[in-house]
Amino acid sequence: MSSLPKQGNDTSFWDQRRGRILTRKGGWIIGEAVYNHGYSMLDDFVGEVSFFQVLALNTVGRMVERSFADWLEALFICLSWPDSRIWCNQIGSLAGTLRASPVAAVCSGILASDAKMYGPGCMTTACDFIVGALRDNNAGLSPEGIVDCHPNRRNGGIPVIAGYARPVATGDERIAAMARTAAKLGLEDGKHLSLAYEIEKIMQAKWDESMNLAGYGAAFFADQGFAAQEVYRLLSCWVNSGVHACYAEAADQPPESFFPLHCEDIDYQGKPPRPVPA
Amino acid sequence: MITDPAQQVRKRDITFAGRTRTEIWQEIPSKENPYLAGQCRCHGYDILELAGKRSFAEVLFLLFQGELPTPEQARMLEFLLIAMINPGPRHPATRAAMNAAVSKTHTQHLLPIGLSVLGGAHLGGAEVLASMRFLGANLERLPAEVARECLAAPRPDDGGDFHPAPGFGSRFGGIDPMPRQMADVLATLPGNGDAVAWGTAFVEALAPHGLGWLGPGIAAACLHDLGFSPWAGAGLFQLICAPGILAHGLELADKPITSMPFLDEEHYVIAAEARK
Repeated sequence: MSSLPKQGNDTSFWDQRRGRILTRKGGWIIGEAVYNHGYSMLDDFVGEVSFFQVLALNTVGRMVERSFADWLEALFICLSWPDSRIWCNQIGSLAGTLRASPVAAVCSGILASDAKMYGPGCMTTACDFIVGALRDNNAGLSPEGIVDCHPNRRNGGIPVIAGYARPVATGDERIAAMARTAAKLGLEDGKHLSLAYEIEKIMQAKWDESMNLAGYGAAFFADQGFAAQEVYRLLSCWVNSGVHACYAEAADQPPESFFPLHCEDIDYQGKPPRPVPA
Repeated sequence: MITDPAQQVRKRDITFAGRTRTEIWQEIPSKENPYLAGQCRCHGYDILELAGKRSFAEVLFLLFQGELPTPEQARMLEFLLIAMINPGPRHPATRAAMNAAVSKTHTQHLLPIGLSVLGGAHLGGAEVLASMRFLGANLERLPAEVARECLAAPRPDDGGDFHPAPGFGSRFGGIDPMPRQMADVLATLPGNGDAVAWGTAFVEALAPHGLGWLGPGIAAACLHDLGFSPWAGAGLFQLICAPGILAHGLELADKPITSMPFLDEEHYVIAAEARK
């Protein structure tokens, strides 16, 4: 970092990049190969490694073990609910009922999941929390102290901690499924996840709130050495499968037949009728 | 089946609205069909009456703020809508739509593609939102004092541009003259308010460091002075820039794929470590 101002209109940085693309990722040398992070994609990947290994490589630049890629795939399955009441999924249904393309529908649903409340959009705060919590814990702060010191509170003083509590329901059945999967794959819990479970005990005892999948995932990713931004990028398409299901069902039915509304189904609370002033 | 009591999932005891509420739009059902509206009102005004008597800019203002603008506010919004109607063919958001178009993406996707790119924290909607918050938080302070604080923060040493505050900074190593000219015009309009004036004083302190207004800063100041909330800033910026993005995309939609550069190997430089 530097506080020195650059010379005004020094464009050398951009001049070096004008008219060309510099990459450390790879690319297609026509007639030779498709290179990907030091691998030949068609020789080394196709039929040899899983899609989620390639996804991780392209996203964070590291080839991960198959066991971790399988865990990641299981994590994607956890957000593949074909339930059109879920906010991002309903966007798939609405797109289907208006005959938007499946690509537009899924992109829109994924974009909706870039949210503070759930989906990939909440992962950076969940990751930041558990990384900071372990740092504090290593410095001597107990799990109870971590919860008690947390500055964000809502009604009645309940700590609002990213990775704990979830909308609509308490508890999270997906964590047990993921923990079972991790054990089956031979992936052990690390310090972040162990602390996350300790914090969950405090949250359950004091506030009747549990860890959610984001909290579990954030801690697991941290134990595997992933930074918050890497997790955000890895999970950007997390909800795509559920959106597909809801899109397909609506698109296969008559247009505008999904969840139709009467005019009176909207509760208008605005201004009464008035003439447009001259 | 969930057997561990700690993992039991219970529905929360919360109440969801039975009907979605709005203060913006009222649809009066037709007598024949409750799904069809026989009349639509925007904040109490019949939409067809508005269409006959008011400009697009005035109704846009009404839609978001609940009241029609004064003539001065309408003029200022109209200025912004025109001045920023097109980010131009070199802007990454426009180029996203152009890239899609020349590769024969369905044309209905061109605008969402461009606007998604325009949502970013650098020169995009997220920067407008941040800039509106920055202006709102600092308007009561002396611009020179705020500039001193912003300039004291370490700047990234990555060779790229520096935004000491959202909406303000360098572009391609220099001060972008177009936003500066927009600010000059805005300052002469009767609807001009605190944020445009404050920003103008702020950039005076930044200028010796090669920093000035950026497009999102102009949009933020203008929207702030017009009474829009920061929440509206990101989306309104996308809306304002949408026509240009779409026009440039459509210009290439029926052109051959050779109409835009596709770099040869000499200009697509793959680092040695990325090759096998």
